[in-house]
Amino acid sequence: MPSAGKPKRRKPSGKASRKKSELDSALGQISDESIAATKEEFQDLLAQAKGDTSELVRQNAEELERRLVLLKKRKIDKEDFDFFVENQKRDLRVFIDSQPAQQQERAEKLTLRVLEIAAKVAIALI
Amino acid sequence: MNSTLVSRNIFLCAVAILVTSCGTATFSKTGSDATIESLRNFELAFIDEFAVPGKKFNAAAFNAKVNEGNAKFQQAIADEKFTARRPVLVNLKGQFDADAAHLQSKASRGKITPALATEMKNDINKTYDHALGR
Repeated sequence: MPSAGKPKRRKPSGKASRKKSELDSALGQISDESIAATKEEFQDLLAQAKGDTSELVRQNAEELERRLVLLKKRKIDKEDFDFFVENQKRDLRVFIDSQPAQQQERAEKLTLRVLEIAAKVAIALI
Repeated sequence: MNSTLVSRNIFLCAVAILVTSCGTATFSKTGSDATIESLRNFELAFIDEFAVPGKKFNAAAFNAKVNEGNAKFQQAIADEKFTARRPVLVNLKGQFDADAAHLQSKASRGKITPALATEMKNDINKTYDHALGR
C-alpha cells in the first residue's frame, strides 16, 4: 500500500547527476596535493555558477563541466579544451560588461574566474 | 478652418512617415537576421565538411572555403544598415577566424574527434543565438 501524506522526493535528473558524478569522481582522482586548494575553490565556484539565476552563467558552468569530462575521457585534448575556454571567455566578456556595476564582480567570479581555475584543474586531470 | 485642415494633414503625414519608417526598420531587421542565419549555416556546413575524423586534409579546398567565408562576412559587414549590428558581425567574423585556425591546426595533423566537431557546432549555435538576441 502506498504511503499517504508523505510527499515523494523528486529524483534528480539522471543525465545531470551522472555528469556531475563523473566530474566529481574525476576530480577525486587528482592526487596532487599542491592544487588541493585550487580544486576546492573550483568545485565551490562551479556549484555556485550552476545554481545561479542567470541562464548564461549556468550554461557556461554546464559547458565547462561537460568539456572537462570529455577531456578526462580523452575525447578532446588540451588544445581543444583551451580553445573552447577562450571561446567561452570571448562570449562572456560582452555579458559581464552589460551587467550592472554592483553585479559585475560576482558575474566575473562565476564565469571568467571559474574558467581560469579550470585551466589549472584540467592539467591535473590529464 | 483652413488652419485646422493643414494641421490635420501635417499630423496624418507625420503618422504615415512614422508607420512607413517602422515598417522599413522591421523589414531591414528581418533581412539582417536572415544574413546572420545564412552565415550560421555556412559556418556549420564548414565544420561538417572539414571536422571529419579520419578524413584526409585537403589544404586547397580548405583555403578556398575560408576565402569564401571571409568574403561572405566582409560583404555582410559592408551591407549591414544597422550600425549597432556591425560590431556583432565583426565578432562573428572573429569566431569564424578562430574556428578556421583551430580546425586547420587539428585537421592537418589528423587530430579531429567526433566530440571536437560536436562541441564546435554547439559553440557556433550559441554564439549566433546570442548575436540574434536569443
